[in-house]
Amino acid sequence: MTVPRDFDCVVKHREQVLCGVVKTVFDCAEIASHALPGQFVQIEPSPDVFPVTRRPITINRLTGNGFELLFDVVGSGTELMAQMRPGDTVRVLGPLGRGWAIDPGSSWLLIGGGLGAAGFQFLMNSVDSVTVLIGASGSDRVVPLDSCRVITEDGSAGEKGLVTALISEELLDGADSIAVCGPVAMMEAVWNTIPEKHRRKVQVSTESRMGCGWGVCDGCSIPVSGGGYKKCCREGPVFPGVEIDWKRWKEAGL
Amino acid sequence: MSFPPAIRRKFWGHDFSSPVMLASGTAGFGEELLDLKCLSGVGAVVSKAVTLKPREGNLPPRLLETPFGLLNSIGLANPGVHHVLNCILPAAAALPCPFLINVAGESVDEFADVVNILEDSSVHIGYEINVSCPNVAEGGTAFGVDPEVVLRVAQGVSRVTDRPFSVKLTPNGGDIVQSAEAAVEGGASAVTVCNTFLGMHIDWKTGKSVIRRKVAGYTSPALLPLVVAKVWQVSNAVSVPVISSGGVSRGEDVLQLLAAGAQMVQVGTRLMRRPFAASELMDEMKKLTGE
Repeated sequence: MTVPRDFDCVVKHREQVLCGVVKTVFDCAEIASHALPGQFVQIEPSPDVFPVTRRPITINRLTGNGFELLFDVVGSGTELMAQMRPGDTVRVLGPLGRGWAIDPGSSWLLIGGGLGAAGFQFLMNSVDSVTVLIGASGSDRVVPLDSCRVITEDGSAGEKGLVTALISEELLDGADSIAVCGPVAMMEAVWNTIPEKHRRKVQVSTESRMGCGWGVCDGCSIPVSGGGYKKCCREGPVFPGVEIDWKRWKEAGL
Repeated sequence: MSFPPAIRRKFWGHDFSSPVMLASGTAGFGEELLDLKCLSGVGAVVSKAVTLKPREGNLPPRLLETPFGLLNSIGLANPGVHHVLNCILPAAAALPCPFLINVAGESVDEFADVVNILEDSSVHIGYEINVSCPNVAEGGTAFGVDPEVVLRVAQGVSRVTDRPFSVKLTPNGGDIVQSAEAAVEGGASAVTVCNTFLGMHIDWKTGKSVIRRKVAGYTSPALLPLVVAKVWQVSNAVSVPVISSGGVSRGEDVLQLLAAGAQMVQVGTRLMRRPFAASELMDEMKKLTGE
């Protein structure tokens, strides 16, 4: 794995893609040439002393000379990030974590919930064969991806219902690998929908309240089966689904 | 002492070109620091707390950032002293700077038991005895606020090692000067001032704390004046060196703590945000003092 480094990156592009969802493109040839699908970067929301930690954001796709982030504005840190404009210089640590394990030539089924699908584009661009299912509460939460089947709870985009309704035996049979990313409750529902015989193919991209992002603070621990924890930032964020202790993870309510 | 304080210093008989120590719990056991090659400017590394038995740590969420600081409730997660000794410490030999092992215990005797086992390693110059973790049910803050317990813990450690050790004290209740004096009486070669401040965040809509143990350890650059005051009080009262811990985000903060009487200065939360914090702090200090 490439050793992450701390870079001063220049913002190249910024646009609001959905209500409260911002896309920002950063220039950084080193991260662009080393990052793997599913990895993330730690963004410093402000050069000031506060906030005291960075914000971990999954790389949504690589651009020619940099990388693109797609993030939900949910608090003071991401609000500061939403204000970043082209020409601004931002401190970025990355690339971080362990991304999707991709076997050459494998066919993939991607199942995303809401903003959890931000990050799928990089994976879609890196595999030969892919089917993408996206579930969201409404059309204003559907992440723009090159091609996907959409279902929304209110029916405002695609079919009406939950993403689990799109999962079929045929799709599961046809996939060598299954990628899941979204809120914990959605991922658990997907996990429970997938029959035992297909579960070894499942990888999940986890999220946690993160401190350092590079493995030292033990703050972002994910409960794993058999007891104990693994670090979301360093041993994840992508884990085999069978490795997750779903019961304790849900209990943690992250 | 002369002012401005010198950046180069002597501590426990070693010459340090940097007063910056990486605080326990924010530097792992050095493995990640070696991977990132971010050890320039680091005077010394203090390990994560080591206990006799493995500890899983607290159920997440373990962190909560507030507008002006960070609450943590890690719960001394560590694989236990035997695993640390056999599988983790050998790699720490590659660290280019002195290494201290932070030791915690649930009983007075456990501290000495852990130290006794760690004596088989030669990678560390000494210990930091953690009688002040706010995030555990046994052996944490309750030990640190009681000078009699601090004395007994320090005496127990003194009996099993000739290496120097610092006792990490709590700012949460009790008289930190009395606890520092008890540590020195028990044989401590330094005191660390101080562990995290007890903090809490309550969701006013539900009345619930996000952190499962309700209260947590709080760190913040805004705590600097509180740490400066405690370092000043303790360093005026005891004859051993004081290691400060808390409140540092800028080079001038380190200089202020040295001026307050600290011999070495730990940086923690800042390191989490800035892996190269030690090097950055050193550059700022050199610019400020011309040293």
